[in-house]
Amino acid sequence: MTDPYKVLGVSPSATDEEIKDAYRKLAKKYHPDQYGDSPLSELAGEKMKEINEAYDTIVSQRKNRGANNNSYGYNNYNTYNAGYNAGYAGGSSASGFNDVRRFIMAGRIADAEQILNGVPVESRNAEWYFLKGTVLYRRGWLEEAKEHFTRACQMDPGNPEYQAALNQAMNQRSGVYGGYNPNMNMNNAGGCNACDICNGLICADCCCECMGGDLIPCC
Amino acid sequence: MFGYVRPFKGEMLVKEYDAYKGVYCQLCRALGKYYGFPMRLTLSYDCTLYAMLALNQRDADVKAEKKRCCCNPMKKCTYVCPANEDVFAEEAFHKAAALSIIMTVHKLRDTAADEDGLKAFGARVLRLFARRAMKKASNDYPFMADAVQKMMDDQADAEHAKEISIDRCSAPTAEMLQTICAELGSNAGEKAVLSEVGYFLGRWIYIMDAADDLTDDLLQQKFNPFIQKLGLESSRGLHLLPEERKRADEECNAVLNGSLARLLPAVNLLPSGKFTRILENIFEKGLPEMQREILFLHIKKEKRHD
Repeated sequence: MTDPYKVLGVSPSATDEEIKDAYRKLAKKYHPDQYGDSPLSELAGEKMKEINEAYDTIVSQRKNRGANNNSYGYNNYNTYNAGYNAGYAGGSSASGFNDVRRFIMAGRIADAEQILNGVPVESRNAEWYFLKGTVLYRRGWLEEAKEHFTRACQMDPGNPEYQAALNQAMNQRSGVYGGYNPNMNMNNAGGCNACDICNGLICADCCCECMGGDLIPCC
Repeated sequence: MFGYVRPFKGEMLVKEYDAYKGVYCQLCRALGKYYGFPMRLTLSYDCTLYAMLALNQRDADVKAEKKRCCCNPMKKCTYVCPANEDVFAEEAFHKAAALSIIMTVHKLRDTAADEDGLKAFGARVLRLFARRAMKKASNDYPFMADAVQKMMDDQADAEHAKEISIDRCSAPTAEMLQTICAELGSNAGEKAVLSEVGYFLGRWIYIMDAADDLTDDLLQQKFNPFIQKLGLESSRGLHLLPEERKRADEECNAVLNGSLARLLPAVNLLPSGKFTRILENIFEKGLPEMQREILFLHIKKEKRHD
């Protein structure tokens, strides 16, 4: 078995706090949320498993040694892995595209696309647009994928599956998963804007009033 | 299409920057060694990244060596050289040098076809000059020449289609880099990760190039995939209004962010080695910084960060 300390990139003499930090950083890096529909989700899952195991091993080793009685209550991310890939399999029982969903699950994108393309234009429903969008997303055609997800949501506005896909596409574009976001960076640079100042003053006033004083006499 | 992929120096350790420079200088030397002195002029940051990906993939054995710079005899450079006759390290630089030649000649061919007058003539002369090196590079690594040739063919098709789609236009470049990067992997898992890195890096580069050229292409009435997407057909031959430019920049930025959202998770899965930190710096900080400089600060080519 590989050295669990090596997996987490820490020295065996690291403190519990350092190990927890290293674990959290790595867990964030390989978190399944980032890999969603990417063909690499399985690899990331394996990596995640390796990290979880390494962390668990270290924790139990240290516990046994009795050197430290702290509780290691930090729940690991194992639970995420299980539910993640189940998405396409069971999705909706009334699905008319079970075979397509199965192909997508198995990573056979070309086969899935072939079936989808064979569907005549007039019988393409919301699910067709969602699945076609998923296929396009897998292939890296992100813009057209987003357009298909949008169409699916317009045709079936209440569907959480389609909405989730669209939300993810929009978040990726806005820079949540890396990239450049002009608005966010501006806020960071400013530190404190007019709204923050007003909020601060109102809070301070409330505090003063609690203590019997008053900072802003008019409110 | 060159020069968009750079590290963000401000966020690097000095030793990382030195290592990056060392690979850059060694690639220059490799270009001279394998393809002749004049071919050193094709040196670029893009192929430096490729050399580093190749070195990192096999954890190649390298050492630092201080030697005189052959292009500027007054200067001493640190080179990151293959150590202990490490074949992977030798091969990494050889491949990167070949890629540099093949991509440059491809670009010259593009310029000769697209531009007119002096620029096209210059491109033809330079291409003639690089013919021998091109032949040698294609012989050394036929898969690279094939991938670049395929890109050229697909590109022409995508740009002459009735419906212009960003995804379709960027696919040839993306697929070219996908093939070239995937070749570096030694098993299916590595190849899958490198494929994803290559595809989305290529996509990002193509889209960044298109976004950078948008205003010029509109003015000179040339092809640009964003013109149809943004509904700017009526602005051909004109300068964009400030609000139109802002909208275009924000849309281009969103498309680029989309590509990075797929690229960065793949970068996380690259093997960890001597160059991992530098690669992460380039992908996580260098590329977004380039978006900021080009789309929001409108900095001209020569003055961008390095």
